[in-house]
Amino acid sequence: MLKTEELQINIGPQHPSTHGVFRMLVTVDGETVTDLKPVFGYLHRNHEQIAEVNTYLQNMPYTDRLDYFNAMANNHAYAMAVEKLVGIEVPERAEYIRVLMVELTRILNHAGALGFLINDMGAWQTQLAFGMREREKILDLFESVSGARLMCNYFRFGGVARDLTADFMPRLKDLLVAMPAFIDEMERLLRENEILLQRSEGIGILPKDLALAYSVTGPVLRGSGVAYDIRRAEPYSIYDRLDFDVPVGSVGDVYDRILVRIEEMRQSKRIIEQVIAQLPDAQGGHINPKARQNVRPPVGDVYARVETPKGELGFYLVSDGSSRPYRYKVRAPSFINLTPLGDMCRGYKVADMVVILGSIDIVMGEVDR
Amino acid sequence: MTTETQHGSVIVMDRRRGKLRAGQGLLQGLRVVWDHWAGSFRKNDNFSKIHGTFTVEYPEERLPMPQAYRNMPVLLFDDESGHELCTGCYQCQRICPPQVIHITQAKDPVTGKMVPAATEFIIEYDACMSCGFCAEVCPFDSIKMDHVYELSTANRASLTMRKAQLNRSISYYTGIAPGLWAEVQAGAMKKLQGSIKRRPDVIGLAASLTEKIKARRLELAAAAAAAPAAAAVSAPAAPAAPAAKLTPEEKAAKLAAMKAANANKGAAPAPAEAPVALSPADAKAAKLAAIKAANANKGAAPAPAEAPVALSPADAKAAKLAAIKAANAAKQAEAAPVSVETAVATAPLDAKAARLAAIKAANAAKLAAEQGNNE
Repeated sequence: MLKTEELQINIGPQHPSTHGVFRMLVTVDGETVTDLKPVFGYLHRNHEQIAEVNTYLQNMPYTDRLDYFNAMANNHAYAMAVEKLVGIEVPERAEYIRVLMVELTRILNHAGALGFLINDMGAWQTQLAFGMREREKILDLFESVSGARLMCNYFRFGGVARDLTADFMPRLKDLLVAMPAFIDEMERLLRENEILLQRSEGIGILPKDLALAYSVTGPVLRGSGVAYDIRRAEPYSIYDRLDFDVPVGSVGDVYDRILVRIEEMRQSKRIIEQVIAQLPDAQGGHINPKARQNVRPPVGDVYARVETPKGELGFYLVSDGSSRPYRYKVRAPSFINLTPLGDMCRGYKVADMVVILGSIDIVMGEVDR
Repeated sequence: MTTETQHGSVIVMDRRRGKLRAGQGLLQGLRVVWDHWAGSFRKNDNFSKIHGTFTVEYPEERLPMPQAYRNMPVLLFDDESGHELCTGCYQCQRICPPQVIHITQAKDPVTGKMVPAATEFIIEYDACMSCGFCAEVCPFDSIKMDHVYELSTANRASLTMRKAQLNRSISYYTGIAPGLWAEVQAGAMKKLQGSIKRRPDVIGLAASLTEKIKARRLELAAAAAAAPAAAAVSAPAAPAAPAAKLTPEEKAAKLAAMKAANANKGAAPAPAEAPVALSPADAKAAKLAAIKAANANKGAAPAPAEAPVALSPADAKAAKLAAIKAANAAKQAEAAPVSVETAVATAPLDAKAARLAAIKAANAAKLAAEQGNNE
């Protein structure tokens, strides 16, 4: 037996498979990872401190830049927090539009995330291109309604910035026609692909208790078998009126996370269909006309959370009665989901480590803030 | 295995394989890829299809932008009157999250009162985050989001846009967003009419037009001076003397006016930023110079009465105007120490300019005074 020695190496921050600028301090014994420490902070840009200098409304476009894949979901969480703090009512129609956008965001996020995950496994760009194609269609819709593809800045306190355009619904319906074909095709491509099974089955197992101990949320937690979805556990907005299933995994490995994400896309499509059916009957306009954007909340604090595609995104705001938040804290799902990375990777090969990281689905803009 | 809940159930994902034999899963995936490859020769023009290409060959082809698309803010002006819709109300400057908008409100040169127009409007495109709040908050629908997205440049400084570069006509905006303009048109035009009534002279006109108007006025003045008949018509007070021969006092007054105007020009953009470095002495000097200029002008003003041949009324007016401007500049410079933050970087230069202006104005005043006395 050849005598081996442990070696500490840095993977990242500038490494194409770290999904941004993320650094992992990896101790390897040959090819096997014996220890891994995630090192954060390379993309730190003082988000929370900047937010304390801005007024409440001025922070809205900054939340777009947290998880730049899901600007709408970030907007939703922040708008909810401020509405709760000030006590602004949101008209029914606005709630439906919000849910519509957020569910579209979920589809585009998972389409992209699975693409990047398969990319990490070595199937360079194949699945990613298909996912990006669907994402592109959704981004076109976002652009037509909010004015921007990624940095949507679409939500306002008490509603959304603009009502849906006339051509939005026909295009959305066309998109939904293509959606089952797209998801089925993705499943055909991935589900029984031997290479993918080899790379994902039994890899990066996150047991249920460990996932709970690390406060992991989102598809990672559900992949570990915990049926916890904030839309169901603590229904906000209009989610209590909508029917959808919560998919969970049984083992908690990379494969389970893939399956959960595919199923979540189906459920999101289901939600969107219900929203389309109920939207014409919804009361009110796209925004509460009485809602002031230039808010001055009473003294107090608030925590509002939503289920973004990546997990629980929460905003904790403390108001001192002025027009600027006294404290602005983001509970970012990507950041919390990354913390058990060391435990998930221990004992696997370096190549698996990259796949495990991909299966968590992080966006560094949210991790480092 | 599923667990029913109120609105749906919890599904445990099925990890079992199908009845595929080893390798068939791969082939199934290959089939998907093959279908896409085969489909890529057709054009996909519909969201409901997943096969086929729907890319465009970008530099040659461009997708039409949706009306709501927002890239960078621009300032609108009315095609017919040439007046800008902006009144310099500072709403956009206040709401801008990265604080890249800088406005200078216009003032009446005679009374010194605020005028609903902006003399300078700067947007730092390089730091703009395209959030669109400025366009949303603008009560006069003056600031709108442009659809031009090819802004890359190697020169970062060129992305600091001044008012002249931001001006777009309303017809341009209706070209890119007809629906959005139609929603606000009536209100915006009504408010614009209100603003126009309160705007003296060329204040509030689009920058390109202001230049044209100035040039045209100079032309007219030259024509008036050159053609005595025309001069007599346009300025009946001016006698039919050969205007080309300028008497000393006329020359002096003109010179003083020009210098004062120049000085004023140098000082005018500065006052907001200048003051910190400007020592009280300088401010005082500027004021003194302005007063002197005004006095000189006053001294010169009676001159035409004695020697009407010399000074055409236009010049006297110009001199007076220049003096007032100089006085205003001085006043602004004096009253300015408020804005401490902005000043630091620009101060030395501006202070210098202001001092220079003061000296020039003083000299001009002296010259004018002497010559006035001599006469």
